[in-house]
Amino acid sequence: MATRIHIAASPNTGSTNLAGSFFLHVLFAGSIVLFAWMHHALGNTWGDTTQTTGAIQASMVDAIPLPATAPPTDNVLATDNPSQNPAPLTPATVAKPRPNEILIQNKVKQPTKIAERATPSILHPQSVAPSNRIPAGEAPGLQIAVSTVQLATGTSSMSVPASDFGARYAYYVNGINHTVSNNWWQQEADPRASNGHSVTLLFDVLRDGTPTNVRVEKASGSISLDLSARHALQRVEGFGPLPDTYRGDRITVEYTFDYQLH
Amino acid sequence: MQMARMLTPHTYAPSRTLRRFCVVVFAISFGVQAHAQDWVHIESSNGVDRIRIAAAGFKPLSSDPATTGYKHLFDLTLYSDLNSAGIFDLVSQSLAPMSEPGTPAEMAVAQWSAAPASAAMVAFGSLNVIGGNIVVDGWLYDTHNTVDPKVLGQQYSEPASDESTRHIAHEFADEIILRLGGGLPGIAETHIFYVNEQGGNKEIWEMDYDGQEQHQITRLGTITLSPRISPDGNRLAFASLGHDGWNIRVFSMLLGRMVSFPAIGGTNLSPAWSSDGRQIAFSSSRSGDPEIYIGDEAGNNLRRITAYVGPDVSPVWNPRTNSQLAWISGRTGLPQLYIMDSDGTNVQRMTDGGYATSPSWSPNGQFIAFAWDRKYGPGVPGGQDIYVMEVATRKWIQLTHDTGRCDFPSWSPDGRHIVFESGSGKSSDIWTMLADGTGRHKLTTNGTGTMPNWSWR
Repeated sequence: MATRIHIAASPNTGSTNLAGSFFLHVLFAGSIVLFAWMHHALGNTWGDTTQTTGAIQASMVDAIPLPATAPPTDNVLATDNPSQNPAPLTPATVAKPRPNEILIQNKVKQPTKIAERATPSILHPQSVAPSNRIPAGEAPGLQIAVSTVQLATGTSSMSVPASDFGARYAYYVNGINHTVSNNWWQQEADPRASNGHSVTLLFDVLRDGTPTNVRVEKASGSISLDLSARHALQRVEGFGPLPDTYRGDRITVEYTFDYQLH
Repeated sequence: MQMARMLTPHTYAPSRTLRRFCVVVFAISFGVQAHAQDWVHIESSNGVDRIRIAAAGFKPLSSDPATTGYKHLFDLTLYSDLNSAGIFDLVSQSLAPMSEPGTPAEMAVAQWSAAPASAAMVAFGSLNVIGGNIVVDGWLYDTHNTVDPKVLGQQYSEPASDESTRHIAHEFADEIILRLGGGLPGIAETHIFYVNEQGGNKEIWEMDYDGQEQHQITRLGTITLSPRISPDGNRLAFASLGHDGWNIRVFSMLLGRMVSFPAIGGTNLSPAWSSDGRQIAFSSSRSGDPEIYIGDEAGNNLRRITAYVGPDVSPVWNPRTNSQLAWISGRTGLPQLYIMDSDGTNVQRMTDGGYATSPSWSPNGQFIAFAWDRKYGPGVPGGQDIYVMEVATRKWIQLTHDTGRCDFPSWSPDGRHIVFESGSGKSSDIWTMLADGTGRHKLTTNGTGTMPNWSWR
């Protein structure tokens, strides 16, 4: 069984299209009018003449107070656009004295007396004859009893009192100096209070190299500097065993921490 | 006309703005480049002069080729050990006298103290192979002390082999360094543990401090990272990828096998031993966010010490006190270096920007070495380098410059050296240097070494 589908053209197609077009145009024009009315009634009113009551109000004026134009001058350097610089000052005229006038001298004022001060004595640099002595700590090599280390802030120097330990085992003395100076944290000392001061510690080094019996021999006057020196010794675990050929069971070391800001 | 005049500024505006923008960009880029080239130089020697020392060739007491071979290996190793110690001014072999004194009787001290050697100390001795053992007599003389010049006299005897020859040279060098270095023991007998990549797997390897005797430790067939040897040298902790994710695992150096360590879940990385060997810190994400945990040596009694949003990783102990930890935290964005007390209090941020990783606390507690990319960001010049910061003052110095990507610094037990990884692209090698950035040399050469960790002794 076959199914037939018949599609017939409508006889009044032309008039329907015309009416629809007319209806659409009217609708379009109406929507424009409606939008204009709504915009006028409800939208913003920028640019119209109605008074606004907002916080900011602008009203039209007849004239704007412009700056007055400068009057023409006789100055040859003047231009049509005068600068804002002030006019040069006219020198004040001073009346000349008449020939018969006699000048009255002012009363002579006595200078006030000032007590004499003692002239400060100036210390002239004295020339010092060069010494032929080799300063301790600056001698080359290791054969020195006193060892000095130059640090970023100041110096540290040490000596082993008594015996000839420093001369015989200079390398060991140097080792102590390296270790202590490396463990001296100068930032622990207050720069203002410590500058120019030095503290001297005494301590013993046992046979196995352990430092012990740390005591302050000469305090610096700066508590923080004294503490930083003590802390340096506390950080050291050992200096290494005393030299094999050394017969004693301990050595006593005198160590000076000198704080100098450069 | 008016319209044209009005439009003119608008049509010019983009080009002028563009030109100004370009000028500003160039100025900034040149400014940044100039700033990136600033080098900070700090002398770490405190002005202390180095001891000038000479290492005389050891005298072979027999003429057989084996003894001669051991003699050359011994001389080379001793010279290298003293040269890399960081406290000596070693007399160049071309300036040293030609003689090889084998005994104190043959030692002419004046010959060594005079120019051009000008040595303050001289190491010498003899070497022989007797009955399958290598016997070495070594002395150290103070050339300025004519009365009693002997500083050190030692005799060593071990079964003859290249390894034992090197070992004796290391021992003798360490004795010299202990005597002359102010009590700090030398590092010639220390070892370095590192990660080596082979065939897609990463295993832990070990080598001598000078790069010799490289050999494999773990054979897990997986990826292992961040090896950390315990202070007694008996246990090796590391992070390993297993079927249950990343976990801390421990290898016994005594037993030669893995020992148990609890798996607590999450990703667990970067273990760190306290210097007494009783505690271990690591980062774990068992709670979701990577945080720092501390447990005992067996991994029990865990406690969490960080609780802040953002990753907290790479803990290291202050080995001097064991009461502080340094670690890397991303709580403010890019990872930064922080320190805190071991109970999690007193948190202090140490770096002021950039991208900081891999801290390592110096043995004396004074410094932290870490990797830092100070100018991190796209298109920013600069790279990742090794820095050292003084903890008390937060002053830092840059140790590596223009040597590629540097990471994973680790202090030597004497605090005078730092081992680190340097590389570019996928290739990386292990390097050492003195803690002031000088004396740099490469230990591995195959481009697969990474994450070094220096043993404690």
